Amino acid sequence: MKKTTQCCFLLIILLTRIVPSLSSAVNYTDPTLEPVVTENSVIRQKIIDSQFKCYERMNRAPPYKKKGLFCNRTWDGWLCWDDTPAGRLTAQNCPDYFPDFDPTERASKYCDETGNWFRHPESNRTWSNYTLCNSFTSEKLKMAFILYYMAIVGHALSITSLLISLAIFFYFKSLSCQRITLHKNLFFSYVLNSMFTIAHLIAVVPNPGLVKRDPVSCKVLQFFHQYMLGCNYFWMLCEGIYLHTLIVVAVFAEEQRLHWYYLLGWGFPLVPASIHAVARARYFNDNCWMSVDTHLLYIVHGPVMAALLVNFFFLLNIVRVLVTKLRDTHRAESNMYMKAVRATLILVPLLGIQFVIIPWRPENRLAGEIYDYIMHILMHYQGLLVATIFCFFNGENCSSSVQQQQFCTDNTRSLLTRPHFQAWDCF
Amino acid sequence: MIPGRSASGAATRWCCGTQPALWGIPCCLAQHFIAATACQEADYGAMIRHYCLKEFQHSMEGIGQRLWCDWDETVGTYGELTNCTALIAEKLDCYWPNRLVDEFFVAVHRQYFRNCSPSGRALHDPPNGVLCPFIVLPVLVTLLMTALVVWRSKRSEGIV
Repeated sequence: MKKTTQCCFLLIILLTRIVPSLSSAVNYTDPTLEPVVTENSVIRQKIIDSQFKCYERMNRAPPYKKKGLFCNRTWDGWLCWDDTPAGRLTAQNCPDYFPDFDPTERASKYCDETGNWFRHPESNRTWSNYTLCNSFTSEKLKMAFILYYMAIVGHALSITSLLISLAIFFYFKSLSCQRITLHKNLFFSYVLNSMFTIAHLIAVVPNPGLVKRDPVSCKVLQFFHQYMLGCNYFWMLCEGIYLHTLIVVAVFAEEQRLHWYYLLGWGFPLVPASIHAVARARYFNDNCWMSVDTHLLYIVHGPVMAALLVNFFFLLNIVRVLVTKLRDTHRAESNMYMKAVRATLILVPLLGIQFVIIPWRPENRLAGEIYDYIMHILMHYQGLLVATIFCFFNGENCSSSVQQQQFCTDNTRSLLTRPHFQAWDCF
Repeated sequence: MIPGRSASGAATRWCCGTQPALWGIPCCLAQHFIAATACQEADYGAMIRHYCLKEFQHSMEGIGQRLWCDWDETVGTYGELTNCTALIAEKLDCYWPNRLVDEFFVAVHRQYFRNCSPSGRALHDPPNGVLCPFIVLPVLVTLLMTALVVWRSKRSEGIV
């Protein structure tokens, strides 16, 4: 499940690992044959730290209990290897000491049938296979750059289209029903979210000097970034609750009071963001709070996923009501399903469901790349998608007159009584 | 970057003047033990115990037993111990690390770091007892808040 929430940060993981240190890449002929001691102090520090942890583990772990030959636990200079049965190839993730080592790749070590670790034929020393760690780095770097620029372009386009939509919503004074008010707030939270994401991507991610200096401002930026992420998803939840109340619960649909929606959308996300800031400062106070290797991120992502799940159930319920209402009005089946599907598809980007339905990143490299591209498009172009569907494509909605708005309000009010149900035109 | 293993005949180039004596090991003495062609494990084991361990013990006693678990205090000494074993391996034409190094360090850890937390110096998550409440609480509050908003929006409709 960690990969799920970190899909958003895959790019940032790659960039913080690879791009900032590119200018200081360590050069050596074959990392797998040369001795493992290096001069660079930061890298050495990490390695010494891993060495300490390894020997502690070797000291404290119970002795090997299974029968048969096995290779003894060992420290190979970079990674710790446990007792392994003879004849088995064991693997673990590559270390992150060097800029061109990709920690998502696997390093392996073979324990041969005689219970000794594999020795490299050239040097006759025990040898672990780190070749995969830096063999695809240049392609991955290229792809990381593509994804990075895609993200920036996506957020910029989202901001532009959302601002245009907001301008349209504010300009046409007749568009002042409550649903549109919620849309305005949702769009505004999308705009702020995109702005903070762009600020983070441009100012912090490619700037290792800033990260090293670790000023308070970059932690404050990260705090607001988490807050806006929460706002984004909680406003989507507000839209879901509003629609659910309107369609499923309301029979005599009076005007709802929006104060609670404002509280949930703008006020409540402060709670997980603050708790995350406090926990991060206390327990995992890394530079600029950039690391995604911590479970403390779930303090923000947990409520976001809970909000998405609740939204998902509201959506299912709304679709169920829509479909049953269709059936009651005796329309042709194909028409019915088409309309239901259209309603669902319009609601999906609104409610951010894609994060619930597509959680797992495939292990296969090509499939993983395709997954990354799709996820990045869905994440960073979401604002553009929402603005397009709710403003630009929904022509009658955005240029509606008072009459149209009255028709919209009337329809949703009497959805249970009118024979021809056209509530989805208002979406 | 320490260069690769030297050929046996070139072992004599490791004289005192060319090696930085970071830890004060009388490196000239090491010349007496330079192996001819292969790694003499017994010699290596003896050397690291004789030279590296002595220096390490001296430093650790200087730091004081109370601070042995303080990684910030001991990291320098630990690093020097590692360097020392690596350099002697270089001189004896052994590859580093090896089985003897493993045994050596396990013994060092058993003696000096037995009572320390095994996590080292890197940042790590708090224990589960602290982490879980931090995560579960916002989720529960979220669900409560959602229920509250749904309930309040129902009530304002006049629907009970």
